[in-house]
Amino acid sequence: MSKSIWQKMADVDKRVLYWLLFLLLVVPYLHPLALPVAVQETTLALYKKIETMGPNDIALFSIAGGVSAWAEIAPSMVAVMTHLVTRQIKVVIWGFFTDQDLTVDMIKSKVPDLTTKYKYGTDWVYMGYLAGGETAIAQLASDVHAVFKADKYGTPIDQLPLMQRVKSATDFTLALTVDTGSYILYYIRHWSTAKGTPVAEIGIAMQTEYLPYYPNAGLMAILIGVRGGAEYEKLIGHLGDGTITMDAINVSHLLFIIAIILANVGYVMTRREKK
Amino acid sequence: MPYPTDPIVVSGIWAALILTLATYSYVLYKETYAFRFAEHAFMATTFAVAVVVAVQTLASNTYLPLTQGDWSYLIPIILGLLMYTMPFKQYRWIARYPIALIVGVGTGVAIRGAVQAQVVGQVLGAITLPSAPTPINWFNFFFSLIAFVTSTSYFIFTKEHTGLFKYPTKIGRYVLMLALGSYFGNTVLFRMSMLAGRVQDILKVLGIIPF
Repeated sequence: MSKSIWQKMADVDKRVLYWLLFLLLVVPYLHPLALPVAVQETTLALYKKIETMGPNDIALFSIAGGVSAWAEIAPSMVAVMTHLVTRQIKVVIWGFFTDQDLTVDMIKSKVPDLTTKYKYGTDWVYMGYLAGGETAIAQLASDVHAVFKADKYGTPIDQLPLMQRVKSATDFTLALTVDTGSYILYYIRHWSTAKGTPVAEIGIAMQTEYLPYYPNAGLMAILIGVRGGAEYEKLIGHLGDGTITMDAINVSHLLFIIAIILANVGYVMTRREKK
Repeated sequence: MPYPTDPIVVSGIWAALILTLATYSYVLYKETYAFRFAEHAFMATTFAVAVVVAVQTLASNTYLPLTQGDWSYLIPIILGLLMYTMPFKQYRWIARYPIALIVGVGTGVAIRGAVQAQVVGQVLGAITLPSAPTPINWFNFFFSLIAFVTSTSYFIFTKEHTGLFKYPTKIGRYVLMLALGSYFGNTVLFRMSMLAGRVQDILKVLGIIPF
């Protein structure tokens, strides 16, 4: 028995949807739609905080997201690092993902001022990878020098001028955690709540998990996925990958909404036919 | 950024393109040898990177202090080595000691911070009045407060959810469903971003859009 139009709507082969999605995503990259992006309060809070900081302040840039999540977090990372460098804020980078060296290289290539205008060891340092998760973050809050003995390139920590000013969480004006998992909770517990260091999140689209902590329970700002990056690019006037990718994501969501409506209409109508 | 000319970089980006297409062949067509190759290559590369980074970390954070005369670092090294008794049935019990230490320290550290941040902090966050008294902020405040109280009430199991208790717990259940739906929506959104990123990279490598 041949399928009715409603049954066909309810049983579209998923490969058809994937092909459609794949092809539709190409369109905004070829012809940008320039859909408007409104800046949310959670993003604005970080911008305002960094605007109050200057050359005497030190920001932590903690990387807890891998290369696989670049599409989601890279626009925010690049935009925020650009802002930090523009404000001449000192930056300490460390991370918890084994492929984070690639992420640091990507940031250096997209924010060339970090390596050309900044002096390594004095204006910024990269401490490298650290295992240990929450235990390590708790210890870093109390004593950075007890955890790191040398930077990524093997220079002993005592020989890095910037690290002479960094002993514990209280020496940072701002802790930024780039996050695709639960590292933000560790920073909230051990840096924000325990030490009072302002903590901001550069995360994936997981605001349901983060928002309960904003703004009174340990999280002073949140950049939510690509959208957060696009918003931040707008704030600093430096449009980049976030703004372009938002068009593609909007198109993909449109397809998903249409697919959900069609599938549900097909399902309801098929049930009616059977009755 | 101009299109790369360095042969190593060019071969890298083309390898990424081919492996991306091989990976997506699974959802766009079916499981193929190309997909399996990409899957195994991914696993192998990830493992290799992890091993190299682990050795580098040991060198800078353990070997360096030892060479500087800090012998206390021998303790974690020995505890770490004890973990490798796991494959030997006769000596497996020895691995329980470092595991017990890791679990104990981890639990202690987590509980110390969790009470303040995730219990006290959440309650304070829920009852703190909005700093800017706009209508939307007041709406958010009352919605969050009601959602917080009702969803918490859903997890009271010492009293049956009937009578006066019926409606708050029912609302709490809807709030939880809303939250779970939002979680799922976010997960889909995250995957869309990843796919969009790969599509962008493919177009860049093919020279269709600027690198």
